[in-house]
Amino acid sequence: MATALLEIENLTKSFGGIHAVRQCTFAVPEGQVVGLIGPNGAGKSTVVDLVSGFGRPDSGSVRFAGQPLIGRRPDVISRMGLIRTFQTPREWRNLTVMDNVLLARRRFASESLWQSMTHARRIRREEEADRGAVRAILERFGLAGLKNELAVRLSGGQKRLLEFARIAAAEPRLIILDEPMGGVNPVLGIRIGEAVGQFASDGCTVIVVEHNLPFIEKTCGEVIVMDLGEVIAQGPFSGLRDNPRVVEAYLGMDQSHG
Amino acid sequence: MYWVSVITEAGIFAILALGLDVVWGWGGDFDLAFYGYLALGSYMTFVLAIGKPTPPVEYIIGWRLPVPVAMLAAIVVVVGLAAIIGAIALRNLRDIYFAVTTLGAVSALYLLVENYTPLFDGYNGVYGLINPGQTLLHLTYNGYRLVLLAVVLLLLFLAYLLVQRLSRSPFGRMLRAVREDERAAAAYGRQVFFTKYRAYLFGAALAGLTGGLFAIFISAFNPSAWTPQELLVIYAAILVGGRGNPRGVILGVFVVYVGFIELTRFLPSPASRPDFGPAARQVLIGLMIILMLRFRPAGIFKERPGVDTAGAPAPLEAAPAGDDPGGLPASAAARDTARGRQRADQGGT
Repeated sequence: MATALLEIENLTKSFGGIHAVRQCTFAVPEGQVVGLIGPNGAGKSTVVDLVSGFGRPDSGSVRFAGQPLIGRRPDVISRMGLIRTFQTPREWRNLTVMDNVLLARRRFASESLWQSMTHARRIRREEEADRGAVRAILERFGLAGLKNELAVRLSGGQKRLLEFARIAAAEPRLIILDEPMGGVNPVLGIRIGEAVGQFASDGCTVIVVEHNLPFIEKTCGEVIVMDLGEVIAQGPFSGLRDNPRVVEAYLGMDQSHG
Repeated sequence: MYWVSVITEAGIFAILALGLDVVWGWGGDFDLAFYGYLALGSYMTFVLAIGKPTPPVEYIIGWRLPVPVAMLAAIVVVVGLAAIIGAIALRNLRDIYFAVTTLGAVSALYLLVENYTPLFDGYNGVYGLINPGQTLLHLTYNGYRLVLLAVVLLLLFLAYLLVQRLSRSPFGRMLRAVREDERAAAAYGRQVFFTKYRAYLFGAALAGLTGGLFAIFISAFNPSAWTPQELLVIYAAILVGGRGNPRGVILGVFVVYVGFIELTRFLPSPASRPDFGPAARQVLIGLMIILMLRFRPAGIFKERPGVDTAGAPAPLEAAPAGDDPGGLPASAAARDTARGRQRADQGGT
């Protein structure tokens, strides 16, 4: 049994009178791809925000590789090795594709203003190795020919791939993907599935928040189901159809569609 | 000599614009306190360099430091004020909230300076000749003006080199990433506030330097010299030249100052309406902003993103493939489309 990389305990968050997350507890073992599913408003995205430092919970704890995360800033958590995405790709629009990925690669607290002025040439030389790595990553995601294009000019699908290239460049320990399949065509979907598989085989732990259940079934070893801010089930996907609470909250809806 | 003055003034404002462009052009923060930093730099240079006030004139300090030392000290004071305003305004406020907060700060400063006479002699302002080296070098007045022009242009060139270098550096890249999407910047490890804050202080330092040069150039400074319209002209210049492009910003300042403000002085002004010229100037600047925003919003020179030249692996056939809705680059798209088709066939059977 692998040890847990991410441990969430009794996480609670209210917005006004709305209990977005209630006593949420689960653990994600190292090296696994885990799905986080549930109907809209179940609190999935809030959990992602709380874990990645973009929100502060009312109570509860989050531990990442044994380190407490609550109270840390998002940039600190990111440098600890946890990279999250957002529901829409958030590329740096007026930066080139190359710079977008290079920024993810060189994930510093802050590039020194002083050294940027005094040691410009040395910094450039130091960056060359990272540029080489980024070129290889762009090649892998089919973006090599677009490296000097502004990210804003990319198509929706290319922006998704750019997001994955940034993650690959950052070499994180834990990746949280918030709806990576939103607005994605089937062809690109296959590519995204492959990318997730590649991250896992590189030793990353991946959490996928998603509504696309066939995608979850294919890529995730284990699934966590949330409803009304609580975790209502955790286990392999195949077992969920027998869980009446899950069927009532979420899967039932899906079957009526199918 | 008239044109020497015009170009000296434009050169001084070009340094100011370079600083403001770091804050607004790269950082995205529409700062309305910025002209206040020039004003404070100017006042401080005066009170540190021109000696004791003669009553009824009153102002603080009244030292007689060497001019470069006074200017450096003035920059330190300006950066100190920017550190306070920036710490409050940049932490959580963005866009219009940031602009209004900085406007409030500069308005408070303005009212304080105008009404509290012991500070900088209120409405009358401070004045006095600061002409470093004129007596030392035995220069005539005109010769001195030429030397001053040369010094200003040299400082502008140095400021340009510095800013240009910063623009291409990792710091410039990070600051622009924060401007484009600060949540994503934080998600990739960047300290959003600290990044913006340092850019703000850097810009304020250039504004402080500009204030010192301005003090030397016009030998007087009072509240009417830093009305809000002055800052609007700087913003217009950045907009015209090219926001985020240091070369464009300098060009923009010369176009706006020399082209609009000075040339409009030669507009015929009816004797009955002596205010026609200044009014026409304001109208022209407003018109120029509108036309630029409509037809060339990026300015004369666009912001230049970093170009990666080495190891170019793929030719630019990688334009989005026509038949692929995901818009994948051609080679990958061809492969994936084939696979997708295969999958669709399977689904069909």
